[in-house]
Amino acid sequence: MEELQQPLPERLDLFTCIQCGKCTGGCPVSIKSPLNIRRVIRESTVREDLHIFFDRLEIWDCTTCSTCAIRCPRGLRPVDAIIGLREMMVEEGRIEKTIIDALDGAYKYGNPWGRAKNKRAEWAQDLEIPNALEMDPGQVLYFVCCAASYDPRVQVVAKSLVTVLRAAEVSFGILGNKEVCCGSEIRRMGEVGLFEMLMEENMKNFTKIEPKTIVTTSPHCMNALKNEYEGLDSEVLHYSQFVWRLIEEGKLSFNTEVPMKVTYHDPCYLGKQNGVFDEPRDVLKSIPGIELIEFGRCRENSLCCEGGGGRMWMEGTGIGKRLSEVRVEDALEMGVEAIITACPFCLLTLEDAVKTTGNEEKIKVIDLMELASMGLGVTPEVE
Amino acid sequence: MEKIAVLVEHRQNEVRDITFEMLGKAHQLLEGGGEVIALFLGDVSQKGLLDQITPHAHRTVAYLDSNLKDFEPLRYQAAFTNIFENVDCQLILMGQTAFGMDFAPAIAAKWKIPFTTDVVDIEASEELHAIRQMYSGKVNAKVSLKPGEKMLCTVRAGAFPAEDIPTVSGELQEITGAIEGDFSARTFVEYLEAAVGDVDITQADIIVSVGRGIKDADNIPIAQELADALGGVVACSRPVADKKWLPKERQVGTSGKTVKPKVYIALGISGAFQHQAGMKGANTIIAVNKDPKAPIFSIAHYGIVDDLFKVVPALTEKVKELRG
Ligand SMILES: Cc1cc2nc3c(=O)[nH]c(=O)nc-3n(C[C@H](O)[C@H](O)[C@H](O)COP(=O)(O)OP(=O)(O)OC[C@H]3O[C@@H](n4cnc5c(N)ncnc54)[C@H](O)[C@@H]3O)c2cc1C
Repeated sequence: MEELQQPLPERLDLFTCIQCGKCTGGCPVSIKSPLNIRRVIRESTVREDLHIFFDRLEIWDCTTCSTCAIRCPRGLRPVDAIIGLREMMVEEGRIEKTIIDALDGAYKYGNPWGRAKNKRAEWAQDLEIPNALEMDPGQVLYFVCCAASYDPRVQVVAKSLVTVLRAAEVSFGILGNKEVCCGSEIRRMGEVGLFEMLMEENMKNFTKIEPKTIVTTSPHCMNALKNEYEGLDSEVLHYSQFVWRLIEEGKLSFNTEVPMKVTYHDPCYLGKQNGVFDEPRDVLKSIPGIELIEFGRCRENSLCCEGGGGRMWMEGTGIGKRLSEVRVEDALEMGVEAIITACPFCLLTLEDAVKTTGNEEKIKVIDLMELASMGLGVTPEVE
Repeated sequence: MEKIAVLVEHRQNEVRDITFEMLGKAHQLLEGGGEVIALFLGDVSQKGLLDQITPHAHRTVAYLDSNLKDFEPLRYQAAFTNIFENVDCQLILMGQTAFGMDFAPAIAAKWKIPFTTDVVDIEASEELHAIRQMYSGKVNAKVSLKPGEKMLCTVRAGAFPAEDIPTVSGELQEITGAIEGDFSARTFVEYLEAAVGDVDITQADIIVSVGRGIKDADNIPIAQELADALGGVVACSRPVADKKWLPKERQVGTSGKTVKPKVYIALGISGAFQHQAGMKGANTIIAVNKDPKAPIFSIAHYGIVDDLFKVVPALTEKVKELRG
C-alpha cells in the first residue's frame, strides 16, 4: 500500500514517456472511443490535479488488454495509469452504481455478481469432484472462479474441462464453496484493497493444500494467480496449457472426428499478456477433423473482444461498434463455421455479438474445452 | 413514555420527508400526552425551515451556527452536544438515511445510548420495542431494552406516513454558543445531483421489459401500452439498448441497472445470466417467450410460452378492462 501513496506519474515512471504514440496506435478501443492513452499519460504528468479525469467516461473504455504495455518502447505500462486513475475514483467513491454493486458482491459473497456463496459449487453437484481441502499436498487444483461457477453458459466450459481431465485420468480437486473470486477484475476496476483481501483468502487455502499445479478456467485468473499473487509457489496454468501437456505426455488423445472449419480468437490475457499462443492451437489441431484458419489479426495483433478490465460491469462511453461484432463479421468473411476461444469473457462477448449481428444460423462460438469434449465424443449441452 | 426527541433532517435547504414521518410516529407513540421535541442543527440562514417544524413539536431546540448549512459529521457531532445537554428524553429518532447512518452511531457511542438501526416500527406499550427486519426482510426482530434505559433508533424512510401530523403549539428554544474543535478531517465538498434523465427504472414498481423478441423499434409501443395500462415503465435487455430502440438508461443487467420491482414482465427476453443478474430480485417475474427452453423460465414465477405479439395485446386489453 505504501507505493499507492506516491503520485501516479512517479509510481509508474510516466515522466520517462517519450510520447511516441505507439500505445494509442495499437489500442483496440482507440478505433472508436475518445480514449487516447498517450494523452492520458502526458496529461497525468503535467496536470496539477488528476481529478480532471474523473468526469471522463472513456477511462472506463479501457479493457486492460495491455497491448499498450507490449508495444511501449520504454517498457512502461500505460494500462496501469488507467487502473491507477480508477483506483483514485474508487477511493473517492466516484464510480458508477454497477461497479459499486460488483465490488460489493465480491466483498460480501466472494463473486462480483453477488450470488450466494453456498451456490458456488452447485455446477459440480453431480460430478463428484473431490474437495481439494481434503487432498494430499502436491496434487492438481482446478481453480474454477466466478464466471464458470455461476454463469450457466460458462458452467458448460467447466463441465467440459472436467470431462477432458477425467478422460486423461487426472486426479484433481476443487475448493468448492471455499473458493473466492481471484480478484483480477476487481483490481482492474480500481479496488486494490479488495483484490488483496480476496488474494489472502485464496492464499490461505493454497498454503493449506500446497497444490503442485493450479489449473484455471479463465486466462484472467491465470494471470492474477501467476503474476500478481504474492508468495504462491504452485505452478499456475491455464487449462489450454495443461491439456496440451496431457496430450504431449500421451495421456490424452481425441477419438471422435469433429469435422469443422474454425478460427481461433486469442484471449488478450492468455496471448498478449502471457505469451500463450501455441498451446491452444496445438490442442485444436490435435482434434481430428478440425481445420484451423487464422484471423488476419491474430496472436500479438489479436483484436480484443472488450470483455475484460471491468467492462462486464461498466460500459464506458459505449460509443461505436462493439469489437466483438467486428470479430464475428471478420470470421464470417473467412467462411468459418465457428470461432473457438479459451476465455469466459471472450466466449460471452463473441456469442453476444453473433446474436446482435443476427448471425445465429451462420456461425457458432465454442470454447476450446467444449470442442475438446466433442473430440472425446461428449457433446456439451448448452441451454 | 413521556418524551421523544426527533432529529430534523434537511438537505439543500429543504426539510426531508423522513423528519415528518418521525414526528408523526412520535405523536402516535405518545398518544396525545407527553412531549415531542424536535432537534435542529443548521445554519443561521436556514432559520426559516423551523416554521415547518415548530407547529408539529411541543418544543423545538435549535442550534444555529454559520457553518452548519451542509452536513459535516464532526462539526454536527460537536454541535449536537450543545443541544443534547438541554434535552431529556426516553427515545431519540433519527433517519436511516445517509445522514443518519453516519451521524447516529457516533452519538450513540458518545452518550452510551443503546442503539437500534433501520427500524420499521416502534411499539411502546409497557416496554419499548423496536422492530427491525433481518435476512432480507424474511423475519422481523423485536428489540427490547432493560427498564430505565434510553434508546436511539434510526428509522427507515417511508416506514411511517408523512401526512396528517398533529399540530401543537410549539415553543422554540434557540441555543447559541460556539462549537470548538478541528473538523477538517471530514468536510463537506459539494453536493452531486443525480443525473436527471429519462425515466428511472430502478424506482418503478412495475416493469415491462423487452428483449430481441420484440423484433423492431416500431414494436416498442406494444410494450409501452401494457406498461401504461399497468402504471409501469418499459425497460429492456442489452441488445435492445445497443440497437437504440430504447435509451441505455433503460437497460437491465450487469452492465445496466439492477431493478427490484414488485412485478417484472419479460417479453421476448431469453434470460441470459447478465440480464438475470439485474432483475432476479423482483418480487414476481412473469415471462412471455415462445421458446419453452429459454432460461428466463427457470427464474420466472409465471410463464407464458407463446408469441408475445399475440399475448401482449390481449393482456393489455384485459388489464384495461379490469381497471375500468
Ligand atoms: C460484457 C457483457 C455484458 C452484458 N450486459 C448485459 C446487461 O447488462 N443486460 C442484458 O440484458 N444483457 C447483457 N449482456 C448480453 C447478454 O449476454 C444477452 O446476450 C442478452 O441479454 C440477450 O438479450 P435478449 O434476451 O433480448 O435476446 P436473445 O437472447 O436473443 O433472446 C430473445 C428471446 O426472444 C424470444 N422470442 C423471439 N421472438 C419472440 C416472440 N415473437 N414472442 C415471444 N418470444 C420471442 C426468443 O425465444 C428468445 O428467447 C451482456 C453481455 C456481455 C458479453
